[in-house]
Amino acid sequence: MKISVMTDILEANDRIAAANRGVFDKHRNLVINLMSSPGSGKTTLLERTAEALRGKLRLGVIAGDIETTRDAERLERYQLPVVQLTTGTACHLDANMIASALPHLDLSQIDILVIENVGNLVCPAEFKVGEDFKVMILSVTEGDEKPLKYPLMFRESALLLINKIDLLRYTNFNLNEAKANARRINPNLEIIDISCTTGQGIENWISWLSQHYQSKFGNLKRA
Amino acid sequence: MHEMGIARSILDIAIAASEREGAQRITRINVVAGELRGIVPLQLTFYFGIIAENTIASRAHLYLDITPLRGRCRECGETFIVEDYRYICPKCQSEDIQTVGGTELRVRDIEVE
Repeated sequence: MKISVMTDILEANDRIAAANRGVFDKHRNLVINLMSSPGSGKTTLLERTAEALRGKLRLGVIAGDIETTRDAERLERYQLPVVQLTTGTACHLDANMIASALPHLDLSQIDILVIENVGNLVCPAEFKVGEDFKVMILSVTEGDEKPLKYPLMFRESALLLINKIDLLRYTNFNLNEAKANARRINPNLEIIDISCTTGQGIENWISWLSQHYQSKFGNLKRA
Repeated sequence: MHEMGIARSILDIAIAASEREGAQRITRINVVAGELRGIVPLQLTFYFGIIAENTIASRAHLYLDITPLRGRCRECGETFIVEDYRYICPKCQSEDIQTVGGTELRVRDIEVE
């Protein structure tokens, strides 16, 4: 006997993600799911972001790391609320892992919550965690063909940060080619060039965050 | 590696559907997976075989129907298969293309005894 099923395979995950999203909206959190390869600069970007947002918007972080708590230790120096999820051998964060982290964060004290995903260009793109936006980092040392090799993540992201732009002249990374490849996959993708070392472009990233916070919640002051 | 999580969800969905019908055994599971999902079929069936042991799906064959990436031109309405991620209409050369297929990931149906 044949039974018609027609069920989305990620439905269970997406249901929990929607519940997470409800919790975030209630607490007026703009939530970013930050994804990239290992070593592209996620944690350093968060350090720069923490410095730049100080006194403006309150940043909180849920960091996914395979085995260590090093990322959280780096970020705690900035007096941020940080929860570290050590994911064991998991290659991505899913909605349920994020739900399990929520009791450890005072969301009412956070304006922008960044979920730092596990370094991986494949698996994290599949799983919604309750974010408003997926943002990805590609660093110039990784190669300009990455969008064509890992299309789903580029397709799902709202914003691409091209990091380590200060190293561009030392690499054979073709910036125009990389952007053209990324926009072939996702014509609506916004792209900002940054360097977490020199600070180039960080103000553009901060204004992207502030604008989206403002358009979600109306103004920068809490009700 | 996301294949493991996906295999787990497929198993859960198939078992729930067969239990609703009071079936004793699942013999086949048909999954539709869009090209953009980047599922590796060999990995998916391998993981599925491991986690389906000692369940009513232990002898089920998992079939994957990989659907190609399809676009629809917003200018002229042409629907076409997007090859090599070239989002350009083959008829009018417009780049204003909406993805209409190749992103799905669902259990279509199962066969049970």
